[in-house]
Amino acid sequence: MNNLNPKALPGAEKQHLHLGYMRLSDSAPLIVAQELNLYTKYGLDVTLHREVSWANIRDKLIAGSFDAVQMLAPMPLVTTLGATGIRAPIITGLVLSLNGNGITLAPPLWEQMSALAPTSLHDRDPQATANAFATVQRQGDKKQVLTLATVHLFSTHTLLLRMWLRAGGIDPDHDVRIIVLPPAQMVDSLAQGVIDGFCVGEPWNSIAVAYGVGVLASSGFDIWNNAPEKVLGVLEDWHTRHPGTHLRLRLALMEACQWLADMDNREPIIELLSRSEYLDLPSDYLRPSLTGNISHDRGETPRQQKHFHVFSRYNAGFPWRSQAELILHQCEPLLGKVFDANRIASITQQCFRTDLYRETARLLEMQAPDKDYKTEGEHERPYVFSEGIELGSDLMLSP
Amino acid sequence: MLVDDHPERSASVEEKLKASGFEVICRLPTAAGILFQIEQLQPDLVLIDLQSPGRDVLESLSVVNSYNPKPVVMFSDEDDPAFIEEAVDAGVTAYMMEELNPQRVKPVIDLAIAQFKSYQSLRQALDDARTKLASQSVIEEAKQLLMAQRGISEDKAHKTLRTLSMETNQSLPEAARSVIQILGKNSGNGNNDE
Repeated sequence: MNNLNPKALPGAEKQHLHLGYMRLSDSAPLIVAQELNLYTKYGLDVTLHREVSWANIRDKLIAGSFDAVQMLAPMPLVTTLGATGIRAPIITGLVLSLNGNGITLAPPLWEQMSALAPTSLHDRDPQATANAFATVQRQGDKKQVLTLATVHLFSTHTLLLRMWLRAGGIDPDHDVRIIVLPPAQMVDSLAQGVIDGFCVGEPWNSIAVAYGVGVLASSGFDIWNNAPEKVLGVLEDWHTRHPGTHLRLRLALMEACQWLADMDNREPIIELLSRSEYLDLPSDYLRPSLTGNISHDRGETPRQQKHFHVFSRYNAGFPWRSQAELILHQCEPLLGKVFDANRIASITQQCFRTDLYRETARLLEMQAPDKDYKTEGEHERPYVFSEGIELGSDLMLSP
Repeated sequence: MLVDDHPERSASVEEKLKASGFEVICRLPTAAGILFQIEQLQPDLVLIDLQSPGRDVLESLSVVNSYNPKPVVMFSDEDDPAFIEEAVDAGVTAYMMEELNPQRVKPVIDLAIAQFKSYQSLRQALDDARTKLASQSVIEEAKQLLMAQRGISEDKAHKTLRTLSMETNQSLPEAARSVIQILGKNSGNGNNDE
């Protein structure tokens, strides 16, 4: 894969590491790195810990029980800001994955939307589904507010859901109720009618579709093409004390992401991910999104969506500061405040460490973008950013 | 409010809290329904097991939201990672539902941490004792079988077990279980470790 000699790298200040991850399909890079012995290749001995909440992931990182964790892209930013109770500077030098989410709605709601929509919703055009949802919401009983769930307040899921709602002309703070539920309770809550829909990561959309209790209305990709999803988070202070270990960890995970970029490698890892020591979920639920063959409704022919999870491809690992700024702006209404431009710029520069990505990429003989910011939301297909750098499309729904 | 799926542990926390003059308005075994319960009961403080997936739900209430107007703030001094560490180690954490006097809240959390810790060590001791007891009885049973079927002394039976354990790279109780399985079947008396 490359000519890098791990022995020539700066030494690891710490070799035995504890990494936290959640029970999601896009935890694949952390698990694949273990199974392909990539941690070992870089002189690291890694113990993986499956966690039950993002709050635990964050707190155990802060408490030092974990050295590094898989995190939702907004988390390093909002934790550094102190928006969730605990303030701690968390940085990322590697985006582990793009996309991977979906909005799934209860079948009766979907039927109502389809009946009222001027054109067929079969193609899942995101603007058309957003409009149809808004139509149902406006015609509905005002006392019976539609309830939608995400798994964490400061998640890409919440941001995507709000973008989709606003695109249809809905005020996400007043016209609907958005709540947080644990992922494992999503499908059940949808089946019981406790909620009308959710925006979550895989495999929970596919599980709802397989049970026939949900219809996938829109993929996360269709709302925001190639949005940053999971990142590798470490404490800023931990990085200062363990720069060599951090570099080796990023190298191992970037190689795992490169390996996962090859669609031919996806099917072989599904059984592995499904094992009880990892995700402990049936292979059949992990397969649709990882192989990019998604069913939107039970009985409907699956559709090819190879971009459903993006690892490594299109410089996916690069922590774009323009995206961090966008995320922070989108978090403003959730926090009920507006940050000044300087604060946004300084948090972004502190948390999204483009320098660390470039250091890793150089060692792997990969080209990295030489700028930290790019225009967002203007490219409807992959494009050449600069010589040798191809980026994915970046369209997003807007009101 | 207590959210903990170990009933004995949450009962002991409740008891200690009551003894210190605090009122426990609800003990929830799972995170299911946590949102509803909080809206209904409006607790001042929520103590929650770290193994409960309900933490992300609780934290979502901390932010301005017209449907959940009560702020929930994670109880921790922002400059005190030692406290977070202690709570994480013990496996419990807490959320304040409204601005309370930290002087009044701290003892509640300390008490919960202490209860969780003692439950942890009690459970560990119990597990150790159970494992030890089970191992001893299985070894004893294997020895009796060997002695009866091969007509050897207890000492010889013990040595046979130990040799088997070393040769097959199994622990002594594991080797004993294999012996019981094989000899138990041979003797036809259905004597196995079930």
